[in-house]
Amino acid sequence: MANEMDRRALLKLTTGMGALAALGIPAEVLAQSAAKGLLTIAYPTDVPTWDPNARALAAAQSLYKAVFDQPLTQNPDITPKPAIITKWGYVDDKGLALGLDLRSDVVFHDGSKMTAEDFRYSFFERPRLPVPEGGRKLDSGFIWRRLKEVEVVSPTRAIMHLSEPMPSATAWLYFLTSYVVPKAYLEKVGLDEFQRKPVGSGPYKLIEYQQGARIVLEAHDAYWGGKVAIPRVTIELVRDPTARVAAIESRRADVAVDVPIREALRLGKLAGLTTTIDSTADITLLQITANGGFSDNRARLAAHHAINKEALSKAFFNGAAKSISVPAAHNTPGYPEDFTFPFSEEKAIALLKEIGHGPQNPLNIKFSTSSGAFPSDFDVARALVQMWKKVGINAELETIELSTYQERLRARTLPEATLFSWGNAAGDPEMYGGYLLDPKSIFSAFKTDDLAPKFQPLLVETDEKKRLEGYKAAHRYAAEKGYTIPLYQTVRTIVHQNGIAMTKYDNGFVLPQGFSFKT
Amino acid sequence: MSRIALLLLFRRTLLAVPILLCVSALVFLVLRLLPADPVAMSLPPGATADDLARLRQSFGLDRAIPVQYVLWLGKIITGDFGTSIFFRRDVGELIARALPATLELIAAGLLLGIAAGIIGGLAMFAWRGRTGEQVLDLATSGLMAIPEFLWAIVLILLFGVMWPVMPFIGRLGSGLVQPAPLTGFLLIDSVIIGRLDVFVSALRHLMLPAMALAIGIAPLIMRVLRSSLLDVIQEDYITQARLRGIAEHTILVRHALRNAALPTISLIGVQAGFMFGGTVLVEMIFAYPGLGNLMVDAVRNHDLPVIQAVALIYCVLVLGINAAVDVIYLAVNPKLRFAT
Repeated sequence: MANEMDRRALLKLTTGMGALAALGIPAEVLAQSAAKGLLTIAYPTDVPTWDPNARALAAAQSLYKAVFDQPLTQNPDITPKPAIITKWGYVDDKGLALGLDLRSDVVFHDGSKMTAEDFRYSFFERPRLPVPEGGRKLDSGFIWRRLKEVEVVSPTRAIMHLSEPMPSATAWLYFLTSYVVPKAYLEKVGLDEFQRKPVGSGPYKLIEYQQGARIVLEAHDAYWGGKVAIPRVTIELVRDPTARVAAIESRRADVAVDVPIREALRLGKLAGLTTTIDSTADITLLQITANGGFSDNRARLAAHHAINKEALSKAFFNGAAKSISVPAAHNTPGYPEDFTFPFSEEKAIALLKEIGHGPQNPLNIKFSTSSGAFPSDFDVARALVQMWKKVGINAELETIELSTYQERLRARTLPEATLFSWGNAAGDPEMYGGYLLDPKSIFSAFKTDDLAPKFQPLLVETDEKKRLEGYKAAHRYAAEKGYTIPLYQTVRTIVHQNGIAMTKYDNGFVLPQGFSFKT
Repeated sequence: MSRIALLLLFRRTLLAVPILLCVSALVFLVLRLLPADPVAMSLPPGATADDLARLRQSFGLDRAIPVQYVLWLGKIITGDFGTSIFFRRDVGELIARALPATLELIAAGLLLGIAAGIIGGLAMFAWRGRTGEQVLDLATSGLMAIPEFLWAIVLILLFGVMWPVMPFIGRLGSGLVQPAPLTGFLLIDSVIIGRLDVFVSALRHLMLPAMALAIGIAPLIMRVLRSSLLDVIQEDYITQARLRGIAEHTILVRHALRNAALPTISLIGVQAGFMFGGTVLVEMIFAYPGLGNLMVDAVRNHDLPVIQAVALIYCVLVLGINAAVDVIYLAVNPKLRFAT
């Protein structure tokens, strides 16, 4: 952690130097990429494996989506749209049989045609294959555990048979691990070779991969969606934010993703660069428990009222982080837009007074946060401590690793509040409250019996309208009871050269196929 | 290699066994005692508490720590490093890919550091008592005060951004495809396959991270060499050489430097060990695909099999370097041949 601070200090010192730096960039460097039809992206995350069914890792989805196809995909406003599935819908009245029509013109990178057999293999057969010793079941097997069979009706028609209703099934068809892999190729070469030379049917072929360093993609000429605008994309896997800043500033990269906010603002003022700072469908919240000082819900509600989310957004995210009152992103189906949890120090003080606390006699709580795992996490946590102090909550701040958070979550030893970020590119409410608040979920922190009837029926509710209204009400209920303290939608920063056009996705996806050179 | 050197290596190898056992046990124990759950870290949506328990069982994490250690050690002896929890791949394969990059970087860093250290040390000695020595002394203090990763950032800003003359991302230019690994050492592979463009690009990409590492070692070498030379130059045999009319630079190179080199060689051995630690952050900053980069991912995700294996490899490498230094020391210092 000390190193992190040192780097920050150095960054401050070198900000002026960085501004001067742009003056010294040779013209040939500035013009190199576009002229060659090559796009270089400085990206912060690598894929853990090139088996797209193996790991449900939100940060890797943009990379997987370049190489592999999903049954459905999303518009920039994250509503679903057809991909290799052209039509979908339940073919029974119990929500147990989801019929899918597949495209007939989908070709894998090895030239073979994709059929419903590949779909069945990816979603049903693979997760059930025997796991070698020391190995592990595919994550897709956990996600699609309610799938009891995939019936192949024809090469372009399949029916997913479920053991019980799975109303979020459609959303899962464009979410984590739901990628179609070529059965014949995988069975022929084996998993190890597949991970070395993955074959998908996505818009790009993987032509070079250096783990932790570089991904080189080349356009898939036979892509069913038409050839992509940029024939070759190099993704430089640059974990260090300072190096990503240097990469875009020196024009060695055309695009830099997740640049620190202050640097993004500075870079945006330089000639030839454009900065975008947008909130995504991911959310940042406080995971709350009833431990210690938060056993009384008035204390939890006071803590929520005391937080000025707009001030946090302005101070740390240039105002781009949309504040949220429930654990979901605005404009997603589970967000009750008519509900606002107000910022009110007066209400916070009054609630604390009811339980015998105030600025002179503060309520002591423990509060944990990561540092550097999410944008401005530690800074936000420190600001929260100050906001709480004003109304009479004395929070003892502790920095923890994400692995420690997970350990404490499972052991139910989390402190009163923990700053946490939750990813949900699909935007479906099940992946918000359904996981974060259902007491049976392994991801929920606040385990209380009254939340179970609010969320669990929704997990099998087949009436979509009823399901969404149910989530809105349940989200609101949880916020009003102080079972969660949602803060804001997580922010993604992208800096790119002016000659690059980019499709912006509300879920923060940075898809290589979404870029083009301006003419 | 002389019989004495072989004997020394044999002794070193014997000694390495208990050291490796102790280090591996310590790393294993510390990782198990940390309040972190590697399996829970990577649980997907849809997983239940029962799934978590089953997964912990499949990774052997439900057993007593000594039992886990013995089982792990048994596999390590057979060359099986296990499967990564995060990457879901064979740990041995992950290490085999990353290790050559790190060794190449360490070699380049050492080479640069030793060269700069020796040249600087000689310059300091030659300018002793003059302003030049004071300037170099001040410079070495400054260089030593800043850790490698900060030098990495400074070098990127200087030579990557302000004067963009050097690349600073990855191991190879973006227009080049890395050739299929023969040895894994990119410089060697490019020579074998006759690809000059790859060789030049790889060398250029190696420069800044190697410099960041070299800056950590060069000032120390300079100072130790300078003070060793100051000691040696007082010796009678140097005075005798001068009386025989031998040129000053010949005395320095042929007589003084050889004897003054002994403490410097010891220092290089120690510093090379520290250099492995420096590669972790330097590789991350330069997006250099070596062991350090792998370790960063493993630590972030509490990937126990990878952390344990990489720590063990680091230990083996440090012991190997120490053994090599002992052999060099033996070759340079004839007195030790009789003492051994």
